[in-house]
Amino acid sequence: MPYRLDDTAADLRERLYFPEVIRGVGILMKQFLRNFFFGREKNPDMLARDRSLSQNATLQYPEERVPYPPGYRGLHRLVPREDGRPRCVACYMCATICPAQCIYIEAGELPDDPIEKYPTKFVIDELRCVVCGFCVEACPKDAIRMDSGEHAPPSYTRAAQIWDEKRLLRGPPVSYQYDPWLRRGASSIPAEKLAEMKANAKPFSTVATDEYAQTPGFSVKNLAAEAKARGETLARK
Amino acid sequence: MRRFLGMLLFAMFGPVALVLLSYGLYWVVALVEHFTSGHGLPPTYGAAIANVLLLMAGVVMTTAALLTVGERKWSAMIQNRIGPNRIKVFGTSVGGIFFLIADALKMLTKENIEPSQRSRLMYELAPMAAFAPSFVLFAVVPVGPSVDIAVGTAVHKVALQVASIDAGLLFVFGAASLAVYGTALAGWSSNSKLAILGGVRASSQMISYEVSLGLALVGSMMAYQSLRLEEMVQAQGQLLWGFLPALGVFLQPVGMLVFFASSFAETKRAPFDLPEGESEIVGYFVEYPGMKFGMMFLAEFIEVVVLAGITAAIFFGGWHPILFEQTLKDTFGEASVAWAAICAGAFLCKVLLLCWLQLVIRWTLPRFRFDQVQKLCWKMMLPIALGNVFVSGALILLDGSLHLLAAVGLVELVAMVLLTAAASKKGEVPAPAHAAAHAAPGH
Repeated sequence: MPYRLDDTAADLRERLYFPEVIRGVGILMKQFLRNFFFGREKNPDMLARDRSLSQNATLQYPEERVPYPPGYRGLHRLVPREDGRPRCVACYMCATICPAQCIYIEAGELPDDPIEKYPTKFVIDELRCVVCGFCVEACPKDAIRMDSGEHAPPSYTRAAQIWDEKRLLRGPPVSYQYDPWLRRGASSIPAEKLAEMKANAKPFSTVATDEYAQTPGFSVKNLAAEAKARGETLARK
Repeated sequence: MRRFLGMLLFAMFGPVALVLLSYGLYWVVALVEHFTSGHGLPPTYGAAIANVLLLMAGVVMTTAALLTVGERKWSAMIQNRIGPNRIKVFGTSVGGIFFLIADALKMLTKENIEPSQRSRLMYELAPMAAFAPSFVLFAVVPVGPSVDIAVGTAVHKVALQVASIDAGLLFVFGAASLAVYGTALAGWSSNSKLAILGGVRASSQMISYEVSLGLALVGSMMAYQSLRLEEMVQAQGQLLWGFLPALGVFLQPVGMLVFFASSFAETKRAPFDLPEGESEIVGYFVEYPGMKFGMMFLAEFIEVVVLAGITAAIFFGGWHPILFEQTLKDTFGEASVAWAAICAGAFLCKVLLLCWLQLVIRWTLPRFRFDQVQKLCWKMMLPIALGNVFVSGALILLDGSLHLLAAVGLVELVAMVLLTAAASKKGEVPAPAHAAAHAAPGH
């Protein structure tokens, strides 16, 4: 209880009961008419809604969605390199740390780059996953992320919840200055592409920032601003 | 903005639609009367049958059925929600009225599970015994004035009222008291502890509220000097001091409040929903599946409509349109069907508004404890109603032209408005200590 309830006896007016009931009915009528005559604002950013006319707070879920907040641990993705292959080097760190033991990896060797391994199989059982994010923390290559901003979609079969590397490998590629293929080159990457990647590569951050914690370009504020720009607010001119 | 305009149009053309509906009702009743009297049946037989079918089975049943959806939708608006809108036909949900069909289908196709130790005959009888009395109450409610309609050469006297009986209000009290048999029977015959608790609660509550329900109307009976509802409605058309219509709400404001509150207890809905008490005992119909439950459920809504009709007839001028009454009467002529249809439309509007008011009150107040219910009835409403009888009787005795009664009634109304407006500052909630944190998003 955030405040102490005033426990003094009701005065005569309150004990008459009817005046207070009529006042309460008046309040409800106001609320009714307000929501009867004015429509709900559809802005999915609930805090940015204009609640001066209709105070309707419902979000029609499957059609309208609130974007998940930054840092939300969503569905996993395997981060690709610029040439489309996974950054993963099949070191088994994530599979080792996973408390739910939901990650299964089989390593293979790249034919053109015999220094590194790559996962021939990388399978995550999303039904077993406890969404702890340890795999993301453990990965030395920043090759697995949970920044997709979505949760595991529902399915009718268990098999559909087992995600393999073909489904997991998606989203924008990320390059770092320390990436070996940037330093020594790779046969699968053309020279001019390599130069461009080198120019775009950034130093690996040791501090967790928004930029690393979320999907690139993803922002609640931006979404709300875009919704406003599309005119999804109630026009009151 | 589109919604605002749409709702404004709805609010404007709703009454017009009701007037058109009443016009149709008058003509159908007149044609049925013409047909039956042409085939040798005595006068008013056909009209009575047509009225039963149209008013009771048509208007009341439709309104009650729509109220089941209306309650869900309106409560949603009160509570800042959307309410039922997922069933869509051609992409529109039209206020959720398709849920009516879905609900009916669900009720009708449910598995018929019955308690094995039930008292069979009583168990099957109870839903009907709960349904019929609330339904039959509407028989004496005058929906529209009586008017002469000429079909061909024959002229028929047609009124939108099922039965015009001398006992009038006494019939209302008698039939309303019968309704409790259904709930008590349902509670007893189910052979379930929870159900019998509900049934016993229902009977004790109903018996207490019958008293103040009846006494609240005695003042009106004395003022209008009649028990027939149509005569009470006609009496409300007279003007006091040349401008104030002699409505029951002006003459008997205290009686109106007590009657309205008692009629709430009569409908067994919140704040007097102790017979059901979903959160405690589930209620007298706990052992009823499917449409048998549906009938008890619908009986509540029918009672809402019927008691709204009786309240409108006795306290809000019945079929008198009140607004622009003289202008409308002069334009259409008092003997015309159009004028009668406008009157009937006005009555239906009042009934719908009162139904809405009942639903708003139902969502305002939480359920009373049982001792509070009994206290409110026996220690508050009954003395008030009795006092109202004596005061009104004395005032009518002093001044038979009702002017004194109306003056005192107006004073009472003003006092009530002042009391309501004088809000005490005592109950204000102090600001929490961490007020600044409340302002932060996500708190």
